[in-house]
Amino acid sequence: MMDTLCVVIDLSVKHWQRSATASDQPLSLPAFLIQLVAFLNAYSAGSSDNALAVFAAFPGKSLMLYSSTDTQPQSTTVSGPNSYPPFQLLDDAVVSSIIHHLESLSDSEQEAPCPLVGALTKALCFINRLTLDHNTNTSNAEGLDPIALPDPRVLILSVSPDITSSYIPIMNSIFSAQKLKVTIDACQLSGPDSVFLQQAAHLTGGSYLYLERRDALLQHLTMTFLPSPSVRGAIAVPTQDKVDFRAACFCHKNIVDIGFVCSVCLSIFCQPVPVCSTCRTKFPMKTLQRLNASRPPAQPRPAPIGTNGVSKANGSSYGTPA
Amino acid sequence: MDVDSDSDISIFDDDNENSRNKTKGKGKTTDKRKKDKGKRKPKDQAYTWEANYTRSWETVQEDEAGSLQGAVEDWIARGRRKRHAHCFQSKNSAPSTAIRRTIIRHLVLIIDLSSSMMDRDMRPTRFGLTLQYAREFILEWFDQNPLGQMGVVGMRAGVGERVAEMSGNPQDVLKALSDRHKLEPTGDPSLQNAIEMARNSMNHLPTHSAREILIIFGSLTTCDPGNIHDTLAECIKNRIQISVVALAAEMKICRELCDKTGGQFGVALNEGHYKDLLFELVPPPAQRTVSRATGPGAPNPAADLMMMGFPTRLPDSSPPSLCVCHSDLRSDGFLCPRCLSKVCDVPTDCDVCGLMIVSSPHLARSYHHLFPVKPYVAITTFDNQSSQPDQQACHACARPFPTTVAQSTAEGMSPIGRYRCPECQQDFCSDCDVYIQNHLHCCPGCGK
Repeated sequence: MMDTLCVVIDLSVKHWQRSATASDQPLSLPAFLIQLVAFLNAYSAGSSDNALAVFAAFPGKSLMLYSSTDTQPQSTTVSGPNSYPPFQLLDDAVVSSIIHHLESLSDSEQEAPCPLVGALTKALCFINRLTLDHNTNTSNAEGLDPIALPDPRVLILSVSPDITSSYIPIMNSIFSAQKLKVTIDACQLSGPDSVFLQQAAHLTGGSYLYLERRDALLQHLTMTFLPSPSVRGAIAVPTQDKVDFRAACFCHKNIVDIGFVCSVCLSIFCQPVPVCSTCRTKFPMKTLQRLNASRPPAQPRPAPIGTNGVSKANGSSYGTPA
Repeated sequence: MDVDSDSDISIFDDDNENSRNKTKGKGKTTDKRKKDKGKRKPKDQAYTWEANYTRSWETVQEDEAGSLQGAVEDWIARGRRKRHAHCFQSKNSAPSTAIRRTIIRHLVLIIDLSSSMMDRDMRPTRFGLTLQYAREFILEWFDQNPLGQMGVVGMRAGVGERVAEMSGNPQDVLKALSDRHKLEPTGDPSLQNAIEMARNSMNHLPTHSAREILIIFGSLTTCDPGNIHDTLAECIKNRIQISVVALAAEMKICRELCDKTGGQFGVALNEGHYKDLLFELVPPPAQRTVSRATGPGAPNPAADLMMMGFPTRLPDSSPPSLCVCHSDLRSDGFLCPRCLSKVCDVPTDCDVCGLMIVSSPHLARSYHHLFPVKPYVAITTFDNQSSQPDQQACHACARPFPTTVAQSTAEGMSPIGRYRCPECQQDFCSDCDVYIQNHLHCCPGCGK
């Protein structure tokens, strides 16, 4: 059974530094790479048909490190007596190019945020290309809907927190992944929970894992992300019961449950505003009065959002099992 | 064979008037094939049923090497040109600001169920084909307009018949269309009755939402109880946009309905063209900046602030309870943030307090209409940039670029297979260009 996996690695220098010096369970980049390579080898060992591609998000740029479908140019490395050449090729391509690119970064570049979305979109373009190739090879002459690859998926290994500015590109990628029937799995290795990746996994039917025991990374990777999505029904992978689908308002970044939305640009505000701050649309006075009148009166003025949050917490504890 | 040679000439005729026969930039070869079929229809041959069996495969031109590359490229090029045209159009209408599109749409689909729908000029029948296309249309429409709502009205035996209530759930609408025996065409259609019914079902809607009526009309007559021009005037007053896809021929009243309300009118030439006309209405329309003569005292009614609720999702493992929409006992669902009643699916209007309930991904799904990707520029010659070592393969999918210049390419296509993003100056291959512009809506180079 052919299987396609694209691994997206977040290589933010700053956050790897933070992860390596964390007080409890530090995880350094070299230690991570050793476990990652073992996982990649395990995946390619699963079947010779398995297609694998590795994408990396470096500070300021993203690129493809390895793909099993393209022939590798530099196959001249001397392999050790005990190594299996295909694995050796994969390990060298991934590790050496990561080292090469990280060393070539200047100090100022190291601070730049990692465009995870760039690597993710590249992975999707790559899967799209494989899908097209697959269709021409199997001579889909009827011109019907393109046959999707069996179980393509993307695994994102992230260390950095969400970048708010990449919300729209990430959501666009998620929706096109849904159309390509790509499953997005995500693993947050350190730092806070990533809301974007939670949504990505939820909307595409993948699983999101927050790594709590960092010393057990390889075990988590193999037990959760190695089996293909078709097998997942039979095993117990972590599911998410509490994906947060509430939105943050554009004005104060508060999480709101009743928001006011501009009909032109869909900006969300936590209270009625006369002018949209995003698209400069003026709203009719009548609506403002009507909306102000219809707002829940019980809220004390100074902290309307706070009370909202509290009532929300009560509301959600209602249905959520402890 | 005579017919075939005739049709070769008509291909060029048709290309000249391509405003009618626009291609949809969809990645399906079906469209292409069907269009070819239509293009083969010679001018002197009026009806499909008089035509011989069309040999659609013979229109596809092979090049010297026997490959179909040329035909496929031509088709991609047409999609590109259309996209560029769209982009310029929007630039002209709104030079500085971002594109404004109507995101919250309300559409009533009026389907002709009169006896003329049993004609077999479209196969299997007009009725059968209409039902099939309507289902595809509904799915695509809800995919692109997640905040929209749709209702269906049938025109049968001189009256308008409500087939599906206004709903935000595609499954509800599809279910109403699933039983074709309930929709069996009979009698004469009545445009006025159907439009009045559609208008009444949209009367209560707020002004910022777009109200549209789409009529699929197969008949050449209408049997109305009163003056249809009064109905038309009411529609103009209520800012209801009417679009008509006619299956038989152009009727003056249909043309007038569309022109006066700002809708689109089209007569389907054949099956493929029918689908194109219908699917042109799927993307949200660019908003008319200043609304046409609607009287004073309406300060840009198109923009408004809407109150929306973002619900709490109940997990599958929560204790089952009754939902307010179907009174079913189920575990999962969404809680309205205002009245805490449980609804099955979002986006919807809360059945108890009427609050519009959406989840944030639904809002996000519409963002690509508002912030589109800049169209890529086709690179025609090798320049400095394309000879750099890191530009030898597509920036997105890492497929190596061809090193030779293709002999003949259609207008708007790059002979060296490179398309460059104007923002980040990275080159992409033609497959990725199509995929990024049509589906991904996000440039892998600059992440915008």
